[in-house]
Parts: sequence; C-alpha cells; structure tokens
Amino acid sequence: MAQVVLSEIPPLGAAFARAMVPTRGAAVRLPEHSIVISRVDQDPVRLAAYNRVCGFTLRDHVAPTWLHVLTFPLHIHLLGDKASSIRLMGAVHVSNAMTLHRPVRFDETLTLEVGVGNPRAHAKGALIDLVGQVRVGDEPVWDGVSTYLSSSAKVAGEPQPVERLPFEPGQPQALWRLPSDLGRRYRDVSGDPNLIHTNRLAAKAFGFQRPIIHGMWTHARALAALEGRLPDAYTATVGFAKPVLLPGTVGFAAAPTERGFSTAVTNRDGSKPHMLMTVEAVGR
Amino acid sequence: MKVIEKAYYSPVGKKVAAKAGLSEPPRLRRGRDYPRGPVVLAAPAGSTLVAEALELLGRTSESPVLDTGGDKAPGYGDRIGAVVLDATGLTDLTQLEELRQVLRPAMRAIEGSGRVIIVGSSPEGDWERLALTQALDGINRTVAKELRKGATSNLVYVDPDVTAVDLLPTLAFLLEGRSAFVDGQAWTVRAAGLEEADTVGGPAERPLAGLTIAVTGAARGIGEAIARTLARDGAEIIAIDIPPAGEALANVANDIGGVALQLDITAPDAGERIAALVAGRGGSLHGIVHNAGVTRDKMLANLDQKKWAQVLDINLAAQLRINKVLLDPATQGGLVDGGRIVGVSSMVGFGGNAGQTNYAASKAGVIGLVRAMAPDLAARGITINAVAPGFIETEMTQLIPFVKREVMRRTNSLDQGGKPVDVAETIGYFLDPRAAGVTGQVIRVCGQNLMGQ
Amino acid sequence: MNHDVVVVGGNRVPFTKGGTHYAEASNHDLLTAAIDGLVARYGLAGTRLDEVAGGAVLKHANDFNLTREVVLSSALAPETPAVDLQQACATGLETTMYIANKIALGQARVGIAAGVDSTSDAPIAVSDSLRRILHAASGARTAKDRIGILAKIRPSHLAPVPPRVSEPRTGLTMGEHQAITTKRWGVTREQQDEIAVASHRNLARAWDEGFFDDLVTPYLSLARDGIMRPDSSMEKLAKLKPAFGGPEGTMTAGNSTALSDGAAAVLLASAEYAEENHLPVLARVVDAEVAAVDHPGGSDLLMAPVGATGRLLARQGLTVDDFALVEIHEAFAATVVATLKAWEDADYCRSLGLDGPIGTLDTSRLNVNGSSLATGHPFAATGARIVPSLAKMLAARGPGSKGLISVCAAGGQGVVAILEAV
Repeated sequence: MAQVVLSEIPPLGAAFARAMVPTRGAAVRLPEHSIVISRVDQDPVRLAAYNRVCGFTLRDHVAPTWLHVLTFPLHIHLLGDKASSIRLMGAVHVSNAMTLHRPVRFDETLTLEVGVGNPRAHAKGALIDLVGQVRVGDEPVWDGVSTYLSSSAKVAGEPQPVERLPFEPGQPQALWRLPSDLGRRYRDVSGDPNLIHTNRLAAKAFGFQRPIIHGMWTHARALAALEGRLPDAYTATVGFAKPVLLPGTVGFAAAPTERGFSTAVTNRDGSKPHMLMTVEAVGR
Repeated sequence: MKVIEKAYYSPVGKKVAAKAGLSEPPRLRRGRDYPRGPVVLAAPAGSTLVAEALELLGRTSESPVLDTGGDKAPGYGDRIGAVVLDATGLTDLTQLEELRQVLRPAMRAIEGSGRVIIVGSSPEGDWERLALTQALDGINRTVAKELRKGATSNLVYVDPDVTAVDLLPTLAFLLEGRSAFVDGQAWTVRAAGLEEADTVGGPAERPLAGLTIAVTGAARGIGEAIARTLARDGAEIIAIDIPPAGEALANVANDIGGVALQLDITAPDAGERIAALVAGRGGSLHGIVHNAGVTRDKMLANLDQKKWAQVLDINLAAQLRINKVLLDPATQGGLVDGGRIVGVSSMVGFGGNAGQTNYAASKAGVIGLVRAMAPDLAARGITINAVAPGFIETEMTQLIPFVKREVMRRTNSLDQGGKPVDVAETIGYFLDPRAAGVTGQVIRVCGQNLMGQ
Repeated sequence: MNHDVVVVGGNRVPFTKGGTHYAEASNHDLLTAAIDGLVARYGLAGTRLDEVAGGAVLKHANDFNLTREVVLSSALAPETPAVDLQQACATGLETTMYIANKIALGQARVGIAAGVDSTSDAPIAVSDSLRRILHAASGARTAKDRIGILAKIRPSHLAPVPPRVSEPRTGLTMGEHQAITTKRWGVTREQQDEIAVASHRNLARAWDEGFFDDLVTPYLSLARDGIMRPDSSMEKLAKLKPAFGGPEGTMTAGNSTALSDGAAAVLLASAEYAEENHLPVLARVVDAEVAAVDHPGGSDLLMAPVGATGRLLARQGLTVDDFALVEIHEAFAATVVATLKAWEDADYCRSLGLDGPIGTLDTSRLNVNGSSLATGHPFAATGARIVPSLAKMLAARGPGSKGLISVCAAGGQGVVAILEAV
C-alpha cells in the first residue's frame, strides 16, 4: 500500500463534502494508498471538552476512542478521494474494534496512519473497513478497525454473514438520558459534521424520526462507564445494532468476563440492544 | 516522519530494503511460552545434569539426529523447538566433533524463535580442558549468528557442584520466550545448595509472589516494563521515580497495585528512605532494581564537569550509596539475606560510544560493581547481577534520527530492536529466588549486537 | 476518644491560579488526581476504605455527590462510600475531623478526608427570576401556556450570575471584611508584606529541600505550585496598589490569596489499623474546635478561630508555648497578623468568654514551609493541604511535638485542630 503523507490534519469541509456526495451502485473502488500524518500534538483543551461530553475524567492518559477521533478526519479525507466510490453518505457504522497497546499520555506526539480496504459482499450492499493506527515514534500504541456498510455499493461474491456479539436481555444497571443537543456537543469535540446527528430533516431523509447520536459517542460513553476498572492495555470490540434517537434514554449493563467486560447499551427496559461491547485485556 | 523514513516504509522502499537483506524482522516468541516443537537433548559425555533439570521442569525431551558421516546431513522430519547440549564433563578436544554431529542436522530444523542451549563446565582443569571450555563460547557465538528467524543460542557454564535444582531457573528462562532478545551470551551458574526447587519462591508462574521489590526509574520506558513484569510475576512493587514524573508513576503503581515513591535517588538519604518505606509497611526487601539512569551526551572535547558528574552520580554513585544502606544489617527494611540486587548496565558499558564517555564510564562501572560485590555478598546468599541492554525500542530511542536508529536496530543477529519487556524478563530471572546460583553475572539483552565484546 | 486517630500521610496536586494550568479541569478531575496519587503512595489500589469525606465550596448542582463520583473514578474499590461536606474555607479541616471522629468512635477504621476547588470551573447560575420563569414554563400544561410564560423572559434575566463572593448578610466581600479588621487592629502594610515574602520564600525552600516529594503528585504536567514566587521581595510587593480598603488600604494582590485551583487529600486511620496494615504514622489527631462570630453584628469576619483556639487550649490544658509549630491559614496576610494580635489581647479574649489572653507566638514557629499566600487557596482543599504537611513536620521533630492549625472561613466561622507527633 502506497502512502500519501500529509503535513497537517486536513480541514473537514471540502473532503467531507465530497465524501458525503452519494454515488450510484457501481462496483466498489477504494483508494489503494494510506494517509500518514506525523508530529500530531494533542490539543488538551479539546481533549478536556471531549472527556466532558463522553464522561471521562481528565487525566494525563487519554481514552482509546479519543485516538479514534484523531484519525477520523483522515478517513474522511481518504474516502473523499476520487479513487473512492464509497461515500459516507448512506454508509452505516456497523462495528468497531480498537486496541490500546499501552496507556497514551495527552502530551505525547503522535503519528496517525489510516487506510481503507477489505471490501466484501453483504446482503444489503458492501462492507468496508476503515483501518487506523496511532504510533509514538515507530511504536504502535493504538490500532482500530471501523466497519461500514454501504448500501449503494456492490461487491461480487456471496454475502458473508456478519459476526454478532452475543446479547442476553437483562435489567439495565444504568439509564443514560441523552439530551437533544448531545449530537451537536459531540460534533463540536469530534469534528464529525454529519447532519444526521444534529438535524431533524437530514435524519428524516435517512429514515430516522429524529437525529441519532454518533455511534462513537455511545462507544466512548460505555468505556467511560468502566473507568477505573479498565486494564492498561485492552481491545474493545463493538457492534452497533440500532441507532439511538435524540433525545432519548438508554440502558447500560456491564458484566465482568475472564479477561475484561461484556457490556450492552440497550433500550430502556434492556430488551433490545443498541450497542454491544466487549473489553479484553491484552498482554504486553 | 522524515523523507527518508517515508521512502523506507513505502512499497518501493521495502523492496529495495529486502534486496539489501533488510527483510521484515522475525516476530519473537515472548512471555512464558515454551517452543512449539520438541526439545532435543544431547549429552555426549553422558552427563545427566540437564536431563534432570528438564525433568524437574516437567519437559520431555527427544534424542538428537546425528550427522555421522556423508555429505548430506540427515534431517529431522519436522521442526524442532530447541536443542540442549549437555557438554559438561567433556575432557578432550576431539569430543567437540560430537557437538558438530548434533548441531549440523539441527541448524536447519530449528523453528522460529527456537533455542540452542549449550551447557558446559566452568573453566577448570588442564590446558586442554580450558581450551575446550573457551571453544564452546566460539561455537555458541557463531551458532547465534547463523540461526535465523529469531532463534537464539546461549551458553551456560556450570560449576562442579551445580545440581539440576540450581540449573532449573536458568534452563526455564532460556527455553521460554522470556529470553527472546538474549542471544550469543554466556554466563555462569554456581552451586547454591538449594534442596528442592519448590521450597523457594512462589509457583512457577508467579515466582516472586509476596516479595517486595524496589524499582527505580519506574514511571516510564524500561523501568515501567520492569515494574509491570515483576508485578505480573507476583512481586509487590515499590515504584520509584523523581517527583516531576509523579503522575505517570502513580498511574503505574495503581495499575499494578504497588506503591509509588517520589524520590530523587541522588538524595543523600535515598537508601534510608527506601528502607524506611519498606520497614514502615512491615515488609522486608527482597530485591532492588537500579534502573534509573540518564544520558548527557557530548563529545569529550565539549564535555563539562556538570554533565560528567550528573551522569556518574545518577547512574553509578547513587546505587553504590543505596546498596551500602540496604546491605547494612542494621538498616530496618534493608535487603534480606538471600536478597537480590540488579543493576542496569548497557552495551555501551562494554563497547564505549562516541559522545558518551560519561555514560560509558557509569555503565562500565555498574559491571565493575557487580563483579566486585558478588563474592562479598555470597555468604549472605545475596546475589548481584546486571543486564546490559542493547538497542531497545523506547520513547528515548525514538528520538534517535531514523537512519541511525534503523542501523542500530539491525546490527544484531535478530535483525530488530528489543522491547522493554525483554530487559524486564531478564531482570525477573535474576530476581527469582531459585536463581540463587546466578551472581556476579552481566547478561546482555541485545540480540547479539555487534557493539562491544 | 476510644481509638487513637493517626495521620498516615497526604497528597495534593500542585495548586495554581484559577484559569491557568487547570482551566479545563473540573472539581471531579482535580480530586480524582489527588486521591489517585494518595492511593499510589500507600499502595491502596483496589482497597475498600471505610469512608471518603470530601467537598468543594464552588460546586455545580449536578456535583451533589462529587466525592462518591470521584471514588468511582479513582483506583479505590468501588465499594468505598463517600460523603460531601462543606464549611467554606475550612472544608478540608472539617472533613478531616469528620473522618477522625468516626475513627475515634470506632465507626470507621480508615478513611480519606479531602477538599477541592476550581475557580476555573465555578458554576455560573441563572438569575433568580429566570429560574422561576423556567420552572413555571416546565409546569405549564399546554404549549400555548408555555410560550406565554416564556415570553416574560427579558434580556436582563439572561445575564449569568457568577458565584457569590460576598457575604450574604453584609454584602461585603471577604476582602472588604478583612479590610475593616485590618484597620481596626492597626495592621501595617509592612507587616503584611513581610508575611507574604516569608510565605513565598519558605514554600520555595521547602520545595527545593524535597519536602513535598511525598506530599504532592504532579497533574497535567504541572509539577510545582504555580502561584509560588521564590524571588518575592518587600521591594516588589511595595509597588502593588491597594486592592481592598480604598486608596489608603494596605491590602494588595500580593498579600491576599489568589483565586486558585487545586485538590488535597489526607489518609487517616486508627492507630490499630495503621499498625495492622503497616501504614506509616506521622501524627495523632488530638482534638478540634469550631467557632463562629457575629459578623452581621459587627464582629471581625475572619477572626472566629481565635475563640475556638482559646477554648481548645483550655480544654487540653495547653498554652501557646506547648506548640512546636503553628499553621494559621493565610486568607490574607492581615488575617494572620490580626489573629496573633488578638491572641495577645486580654480584653478581646475576655470578650469571647475566655479567661485571659491566649498568648504570644514565637513567629519562627509559624507557617514554616509557607502557607496559602504562596501555595494558593483552593477553598475546600486548604485544610487537607495543611494537615499532612504539618503532620510530616511534627514527625520530623520527634514524638510529642504538637502543632496547631487555625483556619478561618466565610460566614464568620473558624476551625482549629491539634496534631501531635507519635
């Protein structure tokens, strides 16, 4: 995979506009290069705001979902490339996996690299993976894979069944009340300007009664709920089942497992999942 | 990322690099895993020492395929995990041929991250025996260089009265992934008079269970890895670092359920403060790992008194002062009999390095300290040893310019830099209560780096 | 007391000026950092403590359970209960006594007392009238009613109300109250500036000596107190303009505490618990007393600790000379001077119901490692800053050394306490 090196994080405007324009159901084309950007200093003010919105305590160590947020504009930039036939417009974030290899401090200078690949057939279109890596020097400290479903895209071959995390209905241990401005607040700290999260009309255009909260907020909030009990290096695997409408109330439940936690964000009575997450400690 | 670094990681660059022999480095087996394939044991002189030690470890072994003649060596049907040569008891040079007979078929059969372990008798006896002893080292160093895919070769000299129990922790360390980045090294195991392996230390997985160990420089990098690795092995860690590193230190300590001590080790009362903390907690100190160190690099022509004194004080003089306090039997919370001292030297301490006179002096001094103190501490059963890391991937080495860094990384037999945990595992081996027969030794954790001896 | 209560140790983050280094950190963040550092120092990760008492003066409405939430974010066992207490600037000393008293009575064996304040994260309230309108609107039955009620909102209603810094009953700020006291007791500018210079120099010396190595854990890359000015001098302070008491006033920004951010925590245990669990012991908590003055009736707002001190010493049969060290919280330099003058004033002391003057303090024993002027004064944290520092100093002086802590608080209140090295 070739690399394109950027000297700074691209502004989201133009690339996002391109990445948002829907494409017709042609065969999937994806950029073959990756994007790298080094010497990225983390902005402590934005980090603090991110932590407030997601429920993390401000420490000298950052949440792995924060590192995902840092790589996000690069993904948008990559999907806005003319070599890409996949557009974020209409693509649904179906699952996510990230590994924090070691605690990362807020004052560490990072190298970010993202790529896109692994197109595969799905009953409702095509799945692609947005992959990202965060390094300190040459040392990988974080790896992430976000899997999106593009309903407009086609890939030849048998649709592969998507592996689902197991879910057992149960009484939620916590109820989170998500205010209607949460989408805007998360947009401001994440830089994800997708209108589906903030605008009623845009949400309706995609078949939702109201705006929906970003899946990555739900992911972050679930990790924040485990604060103080997370190991120092772990893999968090998330499956998004059903979007959460804003404003709304959801349930949260966590159960310890052999190497971590199994958690669920559900509807209020715990009968249906919005998001399932497992956390597993990884050896160093 | 500099231009050259980009080019290097690009597909074209990778092809060029591959042609230049710089292929992707092998991934090393780490942790407590044993080799996948079988352990092959050969004892040409009929010694049973290694066989007994393997039995104590609960490992089975197979007989070697021997090359007894012909142009083409006979092969093993499948990959083998390790070859252990019990060369104790060899008396004349012609017996070296039996080593060749074992090693030739094995060289192609050894799996990735496999092991060659040669166990020889310590130098003693007539001229021929002494020559033979040294010849083993030549074989070991060369086998280490010829092995591929992360396989290593190391040599252990054993004193005459060494028992299988004495050898056990060393053999386990070498076979397991813990010794991943130790290659081409030779060290000595002495008789420690331990009766039974299971009368000392915790279970094999947690040999340091319940033991209090102080680690200096524990907030970051290698020191952090040491603290975490020793805690994994059951130790109760006193994590020490300078006050400005306190928040990272607290994080490490809370992660591993240890205690954070913000302390400048050059303070005149540093030793007393460590001991006071141990005594106050009602414990006794099993070991101290002197990991804290700094560099203040300048060519000697530009090296001022301050940079000279600072490096020598932090890297060498401080641990001498601390050791004196902790070894004083009158010190409450000092080292117990049977305790452990571990220093951190550097390959620069063996080989020197331009721009690092002060650092080289301090790290060579650590080696001197280990060799000098070991005999004096033997009566109390206290061991003192050191690791000498080669190129280890840390935040500090990330600051080295790319080309230089890549060269430093590649100039060893394993074709890569080591990880902080590799240094930590070797330190854990020294701290193991079973390793009572290992003292006065300096083990390089360098992947057989070309620098130095 | 049935059980001896001991100070095991403490931890705080470096204090600094509001709106600077910790501008993005909340009370929750700061207190979590202070407690995690304490947990690391004493190897308490995963331990269930009997109770954590903490508090903040400037608190958001949704921080009603601040300390409990902090416990859940910290490395302590989540089964550790917590309580929020608040007694203005004396909060950190009052939480110490709350935990100490429980331990003394056998209701607890080990606990943490803490305090935190962030002037950077101070809550901004809506005006009273706006709040009433909003409440009414939310109770309206129809959308039309709601709109009608909301239409009453005027631009003036929308102006945010910053946290009140003045006394509700006098309308005077703390500084204005102190200015009256300063004048009444004839405290000079030189006396105040000398206290301020000493505070900065003593604190800087203590830092240089490593005194705070086991009392402070850095946070957000700040490793030392941000307000401290080691090069402070009478000449520099003399140049400052009066901040309180009009143009003739003697109180300046240099001899008054700055608005500060910070958090501090103290680990307390019964002597038996400390011994069983091999925790070090710095000092014993001997006794404490709280007092108030009638400041709406004209009494000196920040002098309440004087009466408390007199009664406490009488109860313990101690005199000023029995104390190796004395810590008087420097709300203002003039507070310290006026307090010491009041100790010597027989008439004033009798007016408080005491038998006679408290006595004269040898000031070489006063605030020897600096106090709030140099360190900063995150209101609720100050008491929890002083307790472990004093305990450590007493321990260094040897068993039996006694120390007195005097902290004044808004509302005309004051808390004093005695520690003794064991």
